[in-house]
Amino acid sequence: MVWEELKKELIFTDFDAKTPDDIFEVLGGELVHAGYAKESYVQALKDREEEFPTGLCVDGFGVAIPHTPEEHVNEVATAIAALSHPVTFLEMGTDDPVDVSLVFMLCVTDPQAHLEQLQQIVKIIQDKEVLKKLQGTSDQQAIIDIIKEKEQAL
Amino acid sequence: MKKKVIVACGGAIATSTVASNAIMEIAKKNGIDVEICQCRISEIPSNLDGADLIVPTGRVKRDFGVPTIPGTPFISGVGVDKLEEKIVSVLSE
Repeated sequence: MVWEELKKELIFTDFDAKTPDDIFEVLGGELVHAGYAKESYVQALKDREEEFPTGLCVDGFGVAIPHTPEEHVNEVATAIAALSHPVTFLEMGTDDPVDVSLVFMLCVTDPQAHLEQLQQIVKIIQDKEVLKKLQGTSDQQAIIDIIKEKEQAL
Repeated sequence: MKKKVIVACGGAIATSTVASNAIMEIAKKNGIDVEICQCRISEIPSNLDGADLIVPTGRVKRDFGVPTIPGTPFISGVGVDKLEEKIVSVLSE
């Protein structure tokens, strides 16, 4: 389950960002600081996003899943940011602009080994009602609880 | 005959792994024998040999001469039924 692995210190609510880079620096920086990602991770996020954007539009709700190739990662982790104002990302596959309100930043090592975890995250981000709830809370524990509730209903 | 499907994403990791798994399930459900080749979008040209379908989860800027269907719905969940139909129709040919 994803919720069991979430860490409060990797959850940011009412996060005030103007650009994707602001998010990459703070969330990515925290993942580096906590030892989940290597020093190169933040730059790798920026490079990857520029070449292959990770924004998604789920029934009008914008969510992004920035991540990097595994060589920039030490250990599997997920950082979450609920943004106080939408930030424009580009959409995966189309490169169209999408206003993102929620970010799931992934540290992925071996995707085959963590397929279930990835599929679980994908199921969470496909539920617009869950996304709305996540974005609407200022409480880190509530984020974990909402995800727990969703996962237990799957 | 076994169909070769190239599933590609930016980093050959997260999204293409989710998409590959979804395609394998679709193939199984429809009795289609598939071989999945998972790679980075930049590596598509070197994997084209014998490919029947390309499903990228990122933007592919050129035409490889092989049917190409965007796989982003496997991640966003939006339009996944249509995507499944399209994949089945290409692989059933």
